[in-house]
Amino acid sequence: MDAVFPLVAGLHLDFNALPQQFINGIVVGSIYALIALGYTMVYGVLRLINFAHGEVFMLGAYTALLSSYAMGYSPEAVKKIFQSGGEVTSSPLNLVILILVSMAVCAVIGALIEFFAYRPMRSESRTAALITAIGVSLFLQYAGQLFLPANPPPSISDKVNPYSGSFSHVFKPAVIAEDGNVISTAMEVSITHGRLTMLVTVIVLMLLLTYLVMYTKAGRAMRAASHDFDSAALMGINVNRVVTFTFMLGSALAGAGAMMLATFEGTALQPFFGVLPGVKAFVAAVLGGIGNIPGAVLGGIVMGLAETFVTWLGFSQYKDAVAFVILIIVLLLKPGGLLGSSKVEKV
Amino acid sequence: MSLSKILGTRVISILVAVAACVLLDKALSSVIQDAYYIRLVMLAGIYVTLSVSLNLINGITGQFSIGHAGFYMVGAYAAGLSSNAFFDKQPLDMPAYLLISVLVGAGAAAIAGLIVGLPSLRLKGDYLAVVTLGFGEIIRIVTLNQEQWGGSYGYNLTHKYQSIALVFLLAILCVAVCRNLLKSAHGLAFLAIREDEVAAQAMGINLTKTKVTAFVVGAAFAGAAGALFAHDSAFINPDLFKMEVSFLILTMVVLGGTGSITGSVLAACTLFIIPEMGRIIKFEVSQGMLVALLVGVGAMVWSVRRITNHYHGPKSTKSLLYLTSFFAPLVVGFVLGKLIETYTILGDKVYKANDVRLVILSVVLLVVMLIRPTGLLGHHEFSWDWVKRKLSRRMILEAEA
Repeated sequence: MDAVFPLVAGLHLDFNALPQQFINGIVVGSIYALIALGYTMVYGVLRLINFAHGEVFMLGAYTALLSSYAMGYSPEAVKKIFQSGGEVTSSPLNLVILILVSMAVCAVIGALIEFFAYRPMRSESRTAALITAIGVSLFLQYAGQLFLPANPPPSISDKVNPYSGSFSHVFKPAVIAEDGNVISTAMEVSITHGRLTMLVTVIVLMLLLTYLVMYTKAGRAMRAASHDFDSAALMGINVNRVVTFTFMLGSALAGAGAMMLATFEGTALQPFFGVLPGVKAFVAAVLGGIGNIPGAVLGGIVMGLAETFVTWLGFSQYKDAVAFVILIIVLLLKPGGLLGSSKVEKV
Repeated sequence: MSLSKILGTRVISILVAVAACVLLDKALSSVIQDAYYIRLVMLAGIYVTLSVSLNLINGITGQFSIGHAGFYMVGAYAAGLSSNAFFDKQPLDMPAYLLISVLVGAGAAAIAGLIVGLPSLRLKGDYLAVVTLGFGEIIRIVTLNQEQWGGSYGYNLTHKYQSIALVFLLAILCVAVCRNLLKSAHGLAFLAIREDEVAAQAMGINLTKTKVTAFVVGAAFAGAAGALFAHDSAFINPDLFKMEVSFLILTMVVLGGTGSITGSVLAACTLFIIPEMGRIIKFEVSQGMLVALLVGVGAMVWSVRRITNHYHGPKSTKSLLYLTSFFAPLVVGFVLGKLIETYTILGDKVYKANDVRLVILSVVLLVVMLIRPTGLLGHHEFSWDWVKRKLSRRMILEAEA
């Protein structure tokens, strides 16, 4: 069987690449899921679409970059080491420090945004709050354009990340032919150690989040506020603290995702790069049923898979549109999202 | 027998509007030599149409659409493609030709509005917002990949026709349609949906039909504006219809006060300039000054909000306090900025107007939302009665004195 054959005129499908694309989709989707969690938790508690979440993500990536500079991986320092004949070394410990710094900074930024912009709007109409969110998002983008480094080196991956460029796992399923010989197929799946680390981190973070939300007092308060904000306040829950906690949690997850995307995937940073992942993650949250935590994860994975699948089909230029197409189809068939419930409104 | 009784007030007002627009067109094109300023006047008219038509959907019907640039784009491309296809060889007379193009653009956008609206208006609030946002993006990305339409390089129209008269007539028509709608029984149905959907349904209003009508009419006006815009510069490009444009139109609606047509018009006339600011208003601002001014604006918001929430004294003192708390922090910020500039604490980096224009847009948006969440005019409209009331009150006061 030929590995590549035309199915439709002009459409070349490589079926042996499908498992690889599946893995790629899961990796991309897990990052979307991480950002989508922030959207969905905030929406669950405040019924507010936090448009600035994508910008928190962007600031997280910049934090990772700038703190990697501070740790001695700035372009000048690296150049100096090379000139003196040395080698730039890195360790997994650096990555742990980076991700923690990034998460902490993002959590603080999220809490600040909530305190200064959203808290005054809580008693106002939801439209006003949403416009404020758009305003914060635009402000962070354009202020970032003024104050953040304009053209940082395209990636921080190769210096800080000890897993970059290292070997990857290759799986080659063996097939026994009719005559008993073992032949290896052309199908292979490889995953770099960086991506593997990313997946593991995402899973660990999600388990942590589940623990926080389901088994701690703060998590229970959050669920109560999400169920009925006013009643929760009447029952003696400090809702302001719950909202701050929610924002910090969501922003920290976005910070972790941003650090990993910048470090392991080497995404080029610029002040507007939070917009697209932000919008897609938001779409993922709506897709899974906004306000629903497992739904956000499912939506993110579906979104990642759909994107890589469209790329595999050869329509990579429509990659950014497919998110919305799926969203519209799902919303029309199931208005509450995949896992959400469409409640009947009572008068 | 007066003239208004023979012809009816409506005919007279139409005649007056047409005459005023044609006169304005003639006057402007003879007074202003620079084509760029004529284009600005034109853009003001287009943005008035866009924001008032979005107000019909968002403010008056209470739906939440944030993809208005999508309909604007559909109108622009439909008009451009059709005029290149049909009027390429023999251009008709200019106004007639433009009128046909505008109708094509409006029709295409209305169909797009119907396609988007019919299924998605069953969704509520935020879900609808996401779908409209998604629609705008899908349209843009699909157009971006059509090579026969120029893709990202843009699409050139054979004929370039500017008509300020038509732009302003469209804006007036849009305002008139919205205003008359509000005064009619149909319009009350729109308002009822905004106030309470369930109650409106219980009163026998067909929710889907009314919402879709608002959506289609709003989209059609946006499409017509797009058609005029396309012919104005004879060049369109998917980048001109990005999400930011939708946000700008939305900002106009919300800043003016959702539901207030007057507010939308005023906000559109003020804010349309922001994307063009790099070219008209030229100024430079140092980094230190910028930071100090941002701090000043933050302090201003804080103090104004404090007065709104905590001061309950007499009205005259309150307005004095408002004025002080509005201007004092700005002045302090300015002085602080000058100090930072003189002692070069934050370096000597300088930004041009073009760099800071969008920061200004976002700061204006945030400030207005934080100190006046209902928008500048709230639900209020300009009316002659209001002017009369104000005038008569002043006359009474003078008579007493």
